[in-house]
Amino acid sequence: MQKAIMVIGGGVAGIQASLDLANRGFKVYLVEKSPSIGGRMAQLDKTFPTMDCSMCILAPKMIECSHHPSVQLLTYSEVKGVKGSAGNFTVTVLRKPRYIDEKKCTGCGICAQNCPTETPNEFDENIGVRRAIYMPFPQAVPRIMLIDKENCIECGLCEKVCPAKAVNREQQPEEIELDVGAIVVATGFDMFDPSVIPQYGYGRSKNVITAMELERLLCASGPTGGHLIRPSDGKIPRSIAFIQCVGSRDRREWINHPYCSSICCKYAVKDAVLIKEHESNSLVTIFYIDMRAFGKGFQEFVNRAKSEFGIEFIRSNPGEISEDRKTDNLIISFEDPITRTVQNMPFDLVVLCPALIPSKGVKELANTLGIELDNYGFLKSEDSVRKPLDTKVEGIFACGYCVGPKTGDIPDSITQGSATAARVAEVLAFKEES
Amino acid sequence: MKYAFFLGCLIPAREPNYENSVRKIAPILGIELVEMEGANCCAPFSIQSVDYTSWLALAARNLCIAEKMRLNILTLCNDCYESLLMTNTILKEHDELRDKVNEILADVGLEFKGKTDVKIFSDVLYEDVGLEKVKNAVKKPFNGLRVAVQPGCHLTKPKRIHFGQQLGIIALDELVKATGANSIPYERKEACCGGPLRGVNDEVALHVAKQKLDCMKAAGVDGIVTVCPFCYLELDMGQIEIKRHLKEEYDLPVLNFAELLRMAMGMKLEDWELKAHRIPITKILNMAEEK
Amino acid sequence: MLVKWGIQLSCLDAYFMHEVANTPRGRGVLACIQCGRCTSSCPVARVVQEHNPRKLMEMIILGLRSDVLDGQLPWYCLSCFTCLDRCPQMGDVGEVMFAIRNLAVRKQNVPEGILVQAKSLFENGRVVTASRMASVQREKYGLGKEPSVDVEAVQKILKKTCFDKLISKGS
Repeated sequence: MQKAIMVIGGGVAGIQASLDLANRGFKVYLVEKSPSIGGRMAQLDKTFPTMDCSMCILAPKMIECSHHPSVQLLTYSEVKGVKGSAGNFTVTVLRKPRYIDEKKCTGCGICAQNCPTETPNEFDENIGVRRAIYMPFPQAVPRIMLIDKENCIECGLCEKVCPAKAVNREQQPEEIELDVGAIVVATGFDMFDPSVIPQYGYGRSKNVITAMELERLLCASGPTGGHLIRPSDGKIPRSIAFIQCVGSRDRREWINHPYCSSICCKYAVKDAVLIKEHESNSLVTIFYIDMRAFGKGFQEFVNRAKSEFGIEFIRSNPGEISEDRKTDNLIISFEDPITRTVQNMPFDLVVLCPALIPSKGVKELANTLGIELDNYGFLKSEDSVRKPLDTKVEGIFACGYCVGPKTGDIPDSITQGSATAARVAEVLAFKEES
Repeated sequence: MKYAFFLGCLIPAREPNYENSVRKIAPILGIELVEMEGANCCAPFSIQSVDYTSWLALAARNLCIAEKMRLNILTLCNDCYESLLMTNTILKEHDELRDKVNEILADVGLEFKGKTDVKIFSDVLYEDVGLEKVKNAVKKPFNGLRVAVQPGCHLTKPKRIHFGQQLGIIALDELVKATGANSIPYERKEACCGGPLRGVNDEVALHVAKQKLDCMKAAGVDGIVTVCPFCYLELDMGQIEIKRHLKEEYDLPVLNFAELLRMAMGMKLEDWELKAHRIPITKILNMAEEK
Repeated sequence: MLVKWGIQLSCLDAYFMHEVANTPRGRGVLACIQCGRCTSSCPVARVVQEHNPRKLMEMIILGLRSDVLDGQLPWYCLSCFTCLDRCPQMGDVGEVMFAIRNLAVRKQNVPEGILVQAKSLFENGRVVTASRMASVQREKYGLGKEPSVDVEAVQKILKKTCFDKLISKGS
């Protein structure tokens, strides 16, 4: 029986599971498809309701993962095949080429400074730009550059200027086989693309953005250095609207996310407060259907948002957003719940809070691992009440948002990560005895 | 391609020029229109508002006539399309309703079997005839003509009956483009023209039409192209009424889609057809050129 | 009865919501969460203050039977189905409007314009018959007479569904 565990997904749930298992003496392979671990939490500015800096909480855990003698990071890698059964899996992992020698790169960044290309930066939700040779984000773990061959013009400048001679443009993808006793899936979530709902103008109107794009704008390490400016003209927005439930709680067949995503009300209030902290004389309005702020500290946070920060809460779901071509302002049509008439209110910036959906590629992964998905594409637990972290395949577990919205916030993901680690250890110990 | 030709009430009664254009262009595009003997009104919005079963039975009667002809139905009017398509969908899916309607239809010697489909003219041109064939038939394209396309509500709504909202509008835009005109985007393109309330509550209908016309004017277009005869009436005659009651003028000529295609195919509209447009279409006539 | 800022509880019909849900096209009222997206999408709600789809659903749910069935609100609807397409809970507001109109007709609450079309349908098999000018144009320019309707069949159907009785009551 193998004493190694594979954790698929380097977000906070996967990181926590990895650390707990490693501290228990297991060897952990942490496989992450993007070039750095960190996941969604790394993209956030602050967390609710305490308004702690997200990266400040996450980075120590990320560093611990990279330095831990029992954790091996396999970033920019994907699981391609699985054989065997609980206690004895053989997993094939494809390591995508960074075109950088990982042992030589120091992450100094001189190559990027000399790279002549520019391409949208995925970490910044395509708001900011990066080079073809880049560090995913300033606090990336592992701190190694990579080359995006699709946008690389093969000028060779990076190779010339690299002091460590780490650039290897001929690097090939590598398939490795790893023997593990158990697998933990923690692939997290993506955001629903609001352009599927054309009335909100996402994609057409520049100043309609998603909440994650707002986070990157507010984040000090983001594309604007933390200055809240609106995409169309760089002006500071004086009136901002949040629209909740864009895609969530939606039973229509072509949308099919009838569930509540659990965290949007909370993060919208957090973002609203953040905006007020950045620009104290801005007018922030949240359009909601229900304000779902359950748990300790959250209703209190909402109350503070109203009384201390003067954020306006309007219980009405807008039907349309139109654009004023001259000013790039957005005009939201909504029914005023007090007067019961349709109002058209102009805003400088509109933030949509989209549904949270399973991560891209999870369907193929589930197929490879032989685990089931539910109607919405989230991973299915063996028994959502009695064995919420097990999947139907013995020895494969799933935790965090990839199993669907539970409480959904960071403490929940960390808790699930720890719980899964305990469960894995339990199952393997049992297997060893038998 | 043969179709059971469902004309509806409004076109033969008020817009014979629309019918004329369709009959002129159909043979060129390979469409054979077969008359539906004795077909009745589709039972549009006003009748549906009175009674549910009456609507289903009347619409089903038309579907039965087409079934007997072993042809699919081709309609020109959005309301007819909506009524027949919805009835077809409901009766195909719900056995008890189908039995109930067939009990009524038995009195007139008919039985709904669910063997026909309902299609609207623009979709037939796009899917069955094909965009290439339509493009090849265009001899005098409208170079530079900016039009606001009014797809009409029931071309694409409700989405779950129409299997994909935007396709109907995309098809229409592509067909307009094939005639050489430019379909200019404008705010609230899918919004209603106010037509259904015409004759029921004219004041509200006019205000709703005004909203549409305001959006079209703001986009800077030379004219309007409609599919549905209600939209055509509301936006054409409506402009005269808005000028009188609401003191706003747009001077946007309204063409129905078949007329646009007919002119692009090189045929001239006859005098009586030109006069059928309340807002004169003279400036559009001058914009068609030799290919 | 809706009093200025209050409702007389004794006038509420607790069963009304279920009555509507069991009327054809009325099922959607059970799904409404009162989010207001329908009203803010409605082209008529912008123009007529009284017309408010969300409010209609609210009144049905509360049980304001006579306010709903005797009022003008449902007759402002264009049946454009914008509300229906945008409702996140499949409340089918546009369909509920039809159900309410069907119920209202049975209480003799129906606009004259609708009755005119309904009567024309019963007498001629068409909601609108050719104007004199249109008839002349048809003959003159080769379109032939207006296609004929089997009026007898139409009347047979409409008598069986009691349509004729519905529209004669309303006049």
